Formats: sequence, C-alpha cells, structure tokens
Amino acid sequence: MDFIRHQIADGINLYLCETDKFTTLTVKVFVQNSLTAETAAANALIPMVLVQGTRSNPTRLSLAQKMENLYGSALGADVAKIGERQIMEFYFDMVAPHLIPNGDQVLAEGLATLGELITDPLVENGSFKQEYFQQEKTNLGKLVDGLINDKRAYAVWRAVKHMCKDEPFGLYKYGEREQIDQLQPEFVYQQYRRALASSPIDIFAVGPKLDQLPDMIRAWQWQRTTVQQLPPVTTKRDIREQEIHETRDVQQAVLVICCRTEQQYLSPDYYALMVANGVLGVYPHSKLFLNVREKASLAYYVGSSLEGTKGLITITAGIAPQAYQQAVDIIREQVAAMQAGSITDDELERTKIGLISGIRSMVDDPGSLIDRNLIGIVNQELRTPQTVMDSIAAVTKEQVQQAAQGIKLDTIYFLSGPKGEN
Amino acid sequence: MQLIRTITNEPLYHEILGNGLPVYILQKPGFQKKYAVFATRYGSLDSEFEVAGRGIVKVPDGIAHFLEHKLFEEEEGHVFQRFAQFGASVNAYTSYNLTAYLFSTIEYFPEALTELLRFVQNPYLTAENVDKERGIIEQELRMYDDNPSRKIYRNLLNALYHKHPIRIDVGGTVESIQDITVDLLLECYHLFYQPANMALVVIGDFDPHQIMDLIKAQMESWNYQAQEIKRIFPDEPDTVCKPRVEQRMNISQPRYYLGLKGTVHHSGRELLKQQFAVNMIWHSLAAKSSPVFERLYNSGLINDSFGASFQAAPRYAFSVIGGETEDPDKLDAAIREAITELKRKQISSDLVERLKRQSLGSYFAAHNSLDYLANSFIVHLFNGTSFLDVPKVIESLTADEVNQFLQEELDLERSAVSVLLPE
Repeated sequence: MDFIRHQIADGINLYLCETDKFTTLTVKVFVQNSLTAETAAANALIPMVLVQGTRSNPTRLSLAQKMENLYGSALGADVAKIGERQIMEFYFDMVAPHLIPNGDQVLAEGLATLGELITDPLVENGSFKQEYFQQEKTNLGKLVDGLINDKRAYAVWRAVKHMCKDEPFGLYKYGEREQIDQLQPEFVYQQYRRALASSPIDIFAVGPKLDQLPDMIRAWQWQRTTVQQLPPVTTKRDIREQEIHETRDVQQAVLVICCRTEQQYLSPDYYALMVANGVLGVYPHSKLFLNVREKASLAYYVGSSLEGTKGLITITAGIAPQAYQQAVDIIREQVAAMQAGSITDDELERTKIGLISGIRSMVDDPGSLIDRNLIGIVNQELRTPQTVMDSIAAVTKEQVQQAAQGIKLDTIYFLSGPKGEN
Repeated sequence: MQLIRTITNEPLYHEILGNGLPVYILQKPGFQKKYAVFATRYGSLDSEFEVAGRGIVKVPDGIAHFLEHKLFEEEEGHVFQRFAQFGASVNAYTSYNLTAYLFSTIEYFPEALTELLRFVQNPYLTAENVDKERGIIEQELRMYDDNPSRKIYRNLLNALYHKHPIRIDVGGTVESIQDITVDLLLECYHLFYQPANMALVVIGDFDPHQIMDLIKAQMESWNYQAQEIKRIFPDEPDTVCKPRVEQRMNISQPRYYLGLKGTVHHSGRELLKQQFAVNMIWHSLAAKSSPVFERLYNSGLINDSFGASFQAAPRYAFSVIGGETEDPDKLDAAIREAITELKRKQISSDLVERLKRQSLGSYFAAHNSLDYLANSFIVHLFNGTSFLDVPKVIESLTADEVNQFLQEELDLERSAVSVLLPE
C-alpha cells in the first residue's frame, strides 16, 4: 500500500497508490505556501473563490450538477495548516470506475474538472470574477468570526495565539479578520498565479487502475516557473510560563495548556515524543484521562495532542470553573511524573500498540492514507507506515522520559463564564 | 449460517442464535481493521414502560445514556484498560432508539470481541461509582449546552412535538440525572439488555465460522432475564406544539431551522422508501446542485452551512432545513416560497434520475467505511428495514412516488421554526 512517485513538472510530484481494496477513487492536490501575515488571508480565500466556478463550468451550480451526474462524485477545496505552512487542498472523490457504468469516462471527466478547478478558473478582466471575489471575501470573514461558535476550538486557538504571538504559527489558517477585510482582488489573483507557478505541489491518488493519471494530470494548464524554497519552521527556546483568563458567556469552562518540546518531526528522537504524548493524554488509558476524568471526575473530555512539525503539545479539558486550580495541579503532576520516569511497562506498551494500530488502520481509509503524508511533504521527508511503526516500536522507556523532560508549559489559558455564575 | 452477498459482492453471514440474538458477519478482504458493534434497542425514547409486578414505570431523562457510561466500569477496573492491551479502541453511543457498544482493532480481534460481549453482559454498579459518573456526565451535558448546533436542534424538536419523548435530550439534563440510582439503572438494564432485543454486527478480514463459534460460546454463559418489553408512548398530535422558538447565545451570527413533522411509517419497505425519497426531495431543494441554493447563496442569505435532511424511524419522522443566516425572517419567507413552488411544479423525472444516481453513488462509496457499514446495519435492523435493500429501493423509486412524498411530507401546516440569535 505504498505510493509510487511520478514527476509531473518542476516541483510537482504525483504519488500513486494503486489498489482494488476500496469502492472509491480519491485524488487530493496540496499546494504549499509559507504561513505569513501578508498572505494568509489571500491563500485562504483562493480555494473558496476557485470552487465557485471554472472557465467551462462557470457556476457552482453547474459544477455541482456535473458531479451529481458523475454518480455523486465529490469535488471541493479547503485550507490546512501544518507547522508554519498553509496548504491549499483540492480533492476529487468518485465511486471506483469498475462499479459504475462508463466508469472510465466518469474518471476522465472528473479529473479534467479537478484540473480546471485548480488551473483554469473563471477569469474576468485579468482577475477573479468580481462577484465571486466579494461574496467569498464576506463568507471568509464570517467563517473566521464563527470560530467563537465552537468553544473548545476557540479556546485552543486563543491559547496558541497567545503563545505564538511573534511566530508564524500564531496565524489562523483562514487569516485574521482585519487582513481579510483589506483584501484586494488584484493582490489575491496575483497570489493565486504565484502559488500555481511556483509553490511546491504534491498530488496523491488512491484507487484501482491509475495508469492514466500521470498523463491526465500533465495535461492540466500548468504554467510553472521556478519552484520556491519555503523557509523551515521557527523554534523558540526562551520559554516563560504565562496564564491567561478570558471571560465569555459559557456553560462549561475550557482549560488549554500549550507546551513546547525539544523534538520535531526531523529530530532523531521524534517518536519518543510521540509516545510520550500518547502516555500523557491521547488514550483512555493515558495519565490525563485516568487522573482528571476517572479519578477526580472533573471532566468529560481531557487529552493532549502533538503538532509534530513545530513540536507543540496542547492539552485541553472541559471542566467546571471552580475546578481550575485542581485540574491545573493534576495536569502538572502528571507531566512531572513522566519527567521523573514514572511510566509503567503497561503504559508504554499500550501506548505503542495504540499508535501502531492507528497507523495500520490508516491504510483502510483512502483519505487517511493520503493525509498522513502531509507532515512528510511539509518536512520534505515522506515516511512509509512501516518506517513509522518500526520507529515507534523501538522507543524505550528512558527515551520517553527524556522526551518528557523537554516538555515545558508555556501558556495556561482558561475560558470561563462571568464570575459568580456557572 | 446463511450466506448473503452485498452489492459489492462481499460475503455476509447471518444467523439468529438460540437465545434470539441476530448476528451478522461481513467479510472485508484486504482490510487491516476489524470492527464490531453490539447494540440494544434501548434509547432515550424508551422513557416509559411496563414492568411485571411494578406496573408503569417512568424513568428519569438520560438514563439509557447514563447506563451506557456505567457499563464501561467493571469490578476489576475500567473496560478501556482491557481494550488498550489489544491496541483496540472501544467506544459507545446512545441515540433516540438504541445504545451501541463498539470497538475497532487490528490485532487480537477474538480477544477484544470476547471482552465486548463480556462487559455488556456484566453491569457493575455501586452507589459510589454511579455518583462519580454523575460528575463526568454533568460536564458532558454542559459541553452540549455551549454547542449552538445542538441547542437549535433541541429547541426545534421541542417546538415540533407536544409530548413525544423525542423532546428529551439523549443525555437528559443536569437536573434529571440527579434522580438516577443504582436500582433504576439495573431495572432498565435487565429489561432492555436481553439477546432478543439486541444485535451484533462484526466486519473484517477473518474466518466467519471461527468468529461465529466464539460468539456462541460467549452467549451460552449469559444469565439474562427474559422479559416481555412493553413500551409506552404518549399519543402525539399531528399538529406542532409551538410555531416558533427563539433563543440568544454567544454566537457569531443568527441561525435558522425550519422543521416539518412527517408521516410515521412503522417499518419495512415503506419506511425505507420514505427515507430515500424525502431525502432526495430535500437534496433537490437544498443541496449545492439546486437552483434554490444557488439563488439564496448568491444573495448572501445563506452560506455553506445550509442544508436539509429527513430523519425517520418507527416512532418519528421529521425534516429539518436551514443554517446560518444574517436574516432569519427573510430566509424563512424564501424557504416557504421555495417549498410551495416545488410542490406546485413537482420534480421532473430527469431530476429524479440524477438524484437516484447521486444516492446510489453515496451508497457504494459508504462501503469503504467499516464503522459506517456496521452502524448502518444495526440502525436498519432495528428500524425493521434492510441495508441490503437500499439499492433496490432507490432504483425502484419512480417520479410519481417521489412527487407523492413531496406533497405529503413537505407540509408547511405541520412546521415550526427555531432561531438562535447572537447576544
């Protein structure tokens, strides 16, 4: 189930995983950009405008009807943030050609439409269609405002923003409201052309009989110039703990603790950090779940997640406001326990088997099979599932302890209701 | 064991065991992951029933969900720990109609399956551990209180229904769960957790005969209490309870939902037909491929959150349409007009063909997901419909039938509006 690489053009790679296992054929295109304050809003807007229409399918209505006729194929776009890169992503997903009438024709039409969506947009007077630009600029602004609707995501985002206020990682993947409001059509269109011409582009496909894909994709309207070299992720070593409290009208308080670590994807002991994060807070057998939820009964959800490119661990818990100090204390104790080497054989083994099962089950889902490579393309080192599993299996308790010793609390953020209320 | 084939030609084995438990085993060649779901026809709707010797019992809201949480605790510790040693991830959910316990794993499938069957058969409840769980569930419910999608939906169902237990949140309320006791939990357990009221679906690349033998061995030791289940449902009027509800919340922009009460078809093909036909109708009106969507989107009245869906089970049927909007009143007028217009013009047979293609495509694509397959199987089984009949039912739908559903189910006389406004 590994991918085979084909070069499409300078800086454009196509990775094919041919398999009969699935009832679908999935193609995803990733266009990588640096995450910067100047371009974040524009890069977020570009995919939103592109899905409004292409030169030959000029409305989203005609695009949607076309996909329906292709047996309910899906075509779409979004933006992802991995480390300090902002990635425009485009996808096409169809029922496997051998399961439907004229399957090869559906594939050819679908893939040509995906190509058009990315490379051949509806252009008027040397820019995006004005109406689409304005409409999607408004929608993007509302999308960013809407972060408040999900209190947990909002809290995590505020914590990260406080922690990384001077680093690119502190930028939101959809840009900031002020930058969105100032976007001009010419600038966004130029940014689109620049990205298409010079950003590193990686395309992944999973499905049966993919031999036609390299030629189909070479036929898209690529106009490449020189490929950009994107800067590596920044790291901060001088860490001072800060506490931030924010008040909103919420029923449940959200505690977020952002930590820095000393390992990243390209560090030799990265997988020790991954295991350390697992022991701490990824699983129901992890320390945080057992101590914050099961023993102290303080939370329904509590856990930690690892951002591997930048090497950040984010702990979140939904708690009652009066449980703040108790929850922070327990979390500190658990991190300290790991640093002191309090990791049982069971914890280590269960975490490793959990991580390895997670990787093995990714190969059962075309989307996960593709998305797991995002961290690899950003760090310019793709790793096969086998490599990753072998690395995890080899991690020792001492290495986990050592990785845990690099975990430093940076920002303790607390979102709660007005004082005196719940 | 009876052998059936799915639409993608995968072998599906089926047997109803001696104790009444229906078992389905689906082989998925080439898949690493294996999945099992063990479920009971017991959800939040089962809030009132008759118990031999006790008469009619009305239980506190949220008890099925509370019981789901509690089954994870064993005398020897938490079930999570035991699944962790197999690298398996175990979970559960409670809905209106059912409680499901499930796990997925790569290795040690027989061991994990044994564990699943064992822990669901063994409730371990003490006053102390029930109290501890109350604290956790309270935080779960407060989390939902901050969730606008859940809030607007809950308010809508309370507007649509007068007495139906669908008004109750699956988890109950912080107040109602205070009344839940060990005795009540056990009473519900013994009534609803008996093999004939349950079902087991397993999916993966394994020897079906070996798995069936294991299941049978585990079932032999189950000391359940066979009792007749008599559920009591209040008579729900056809009319809606309140035409409009509004609430303020800490959100970025208003949200609008229109709900329509549907006709209750109790089971079988009629229910399946209704589910697909009405969802196709809503797709034609509210999906991105609809000129109505295009018009409302271009006028800035809706965004990508806009959509519609129809839910039907043996005890309820309703539609919901709406999403985020700057102007709920204007959207309300536009949707009502679009529905009236659609009913007047009807849906063309060309469009019905395109919608059928779309539905069929989604059905095929869904076969990639073991989770989706297993849970769909259970839901269909409990609804008295069949997941395997879906393609036949979609193909058999005619434009006339779809238009008949359009007239019956999109009834603005039986509609209610739920609005959330920013503070």
